[in-house]
Amino acid sequence: MDTPLIQVTDLAKHYQVSRRRPGFWGALKTFVAGGHTLVRAVDQISFSVARGELVGYLGPNGAGKSTTIKMLTGLLVPSAGELVVDGFVPWRARTQYVAHIGAVFGQRTTLWWDLPVMDSFELLRAIYKVPPARFAHNLAEFRELLELDGFLNTPVRALSLGQRMRADFCAAMLHNPRLLFLDEPTVGLDVVAKERIRQFIAHINAEHGTTVLLTTHDLQDVERLCRRVLIIDQGRLLYDGELAHLQTRFGGQRELVVDFSEVYTNVDIPDAQVLELEGQRAVYAFQRDGISASELIGRISARYRVRDLSVREPQIEATIRRIYEERLLDAPASAPITPFPAFKIQESP
Amino acid sequence: MFATLAFHWQIYRRLIGAQLRAQMQYRVSMLFEIAATALIMSLFFVSLALVMQRLENIGGWNLAQIAFLWGMVETGFGLMDMFFSGFDPAFFGRRVRQGTFDELLLRPVSVTVQVFGDQFVIRRLGRIIQGLAILTFAFSTGDIAWTAAKIAYLPLVLAGLVLYFGGLFIVGATITFWTVESIEAINVFTYGGSEMLAYPMHIYPDILRRTFTYILPAALLNYYPALYILDLPDPMSLPGWLRFVAPLAGGLLFAGALAFWRFGVRHYHSTGS
Repeated sequence: MDTPLIQVTDLAKHYQVSRRRPGFWGALKTFVAGGHTLVRAVDQISFSVARGELVGYLGPNGAGKSTTIKMLTGLLVPSAGELVVDGFVPWRARTQYVAHIGAVFGQRTTLWWDLPVMDSFELLRAIYKVPPARFAHNLAEFRELLELDGFLNTPVRALSLGQRMRADFCAAMLHNPRLLFLDEPTVGLDVVAKERIRQFIAHINAEHGTTVLLTTHDLQDVERLCRRVLIIDQGRLLYDGELAHLQTRFGGQRELVVDFSEVYTNVDIPDAQVLELEGQRAVYAFQRDGISASELIGRISARYRVRDLSVREPQIEATIRRIYEERLLDAPASAPITPFPAFKIQESP
Repeated sequence: MFATLAFHWQIYRRLIGAQLRAQMQYRVSMLFEIAATALIMSLFFVSLALVMQRLENIGGWNLAQIAFLWGMVETGFGLMDMFFSGFDPAFFGRRVRQGTFDELLLRPVSVTVQVFGDQFVIRRLGRIIQGLAILTFAFSTGDIAWTAAKIAYLPLVLAGLVLYFGGLFIVGATITFWTVESIEAINVFTYGGSEMLAYPMHIYPDILRRTFTYILPAALLNYYPALYILDLPDPMSLPGWLRFVAPLAGGLLFAGALAFWRFGVRHYHSTGS
């Protein structure tokens, strides 16, 4: 593998926030004594992304995700650390750099609100200096994949959210960016529209080799698209590795649902905990590293008459929530932990 | 250098062109709006004319002479408001507050060009038409001893006014990088300033007159050129060449405003506002 597309080293962004004290005297005190608080929005994070990767960038609200993205896209100048993307230092050569990247924000459009979709595309063609032949080729490909034909001449303000997102994706890809930043690209969409967007992301990653950095709160996006995830909280990078590892490490307990052929009053089994017992149905919880599913099933069917059973895997959603809430990945104060270095992820099972 | 300039011009033209097409979709309502703006705005001048039937003059100036000041300011401000709408502090402040200014930074074109192309309001033609009508009135009722030099100077004075008011809009837009609560303060200079420039400077109290001559050189933009074109004496007895520096004063203020704008954009890069 050649040099990574994104190389982030000890990146930090600090803000001076003036401390506000309540009330009139508080305001006066602030005025006299000053008093700024240093907020470490991003605190010494390091990671790299290889060309062609599709990486999920996760974290609770206010974790520092958007500050990182703003630095990666050249909007913000870092306070410290190094940042090289595709050979550019983003904030130093903004206009040259942004010609090579694309961005889609679920919360707002980058198209011209009052213009028909096609007019926006034409403007972008001129702004990004896309050669006519390439423009025609790209447009033909994306309008078919994203099914844009029905509303190419409709003003953006009259589009539904799903249509607008599809148009925004096309707009972001018309200049063949090497790197695409996606911020909540499926927020507010219905299941069908979400799936269509996910298919498109997978397509451009596979067919165009576009590197994608995906920020989202929808973990189904991540599960469907990303092998690798970065987790950030309170400005620190807490995890960099495979999504699957996260599940095995922090997935916690699995559940076994058993339907018995008759009603039992006591269904206790060693190494498993009975969560529910109602009528002929019982739900057991068991630890991944305590007992295997087949072992547990063996023990149960040895004692009781079983009609049906099923194993419930914990939802990735629940796992990530547990990581945020219980701070399972608290990094030490000095350096952030990277349990699975970026370039070793291929070896993992 | 030339290639960049040509590219910027092309992008600007396309941005404006796309907006014109969008606004022209409602041609009839657009024409009505232009006409309504022109009519409503000219009511202000009509009421001044009525008052002056009693007063006969303001500070020794008759209606035709005041109409010259008034028409120049209205035409200049209207032109500015059409070309600089993207920098209108109220409009631009909303972009900063809602974070949509970031979109402009994500495109590989100078942000200044993009903001210039961000809004082009044809409706403002109404104000320009009104200004030109008042100027026509001034030219036809007053007796101006026209010379070739005066005719040549007129568009330069207009350009000076456009640059001056445009500079104030840019300063106002830049301030919104720090705070959006001060928009009213800048409106005092833009809208209030346009009102003030419509009357002869010597009617104002000393402190106002001095401020707008030496600090913000508004008097040089309209009043002094008017003294030249209308062949009137300078009650303040300042040097005669001050009558000819209007485009320079406007240009300098505009250049200063652009420098402040660049500083503001850099500040935005380091704080994200």
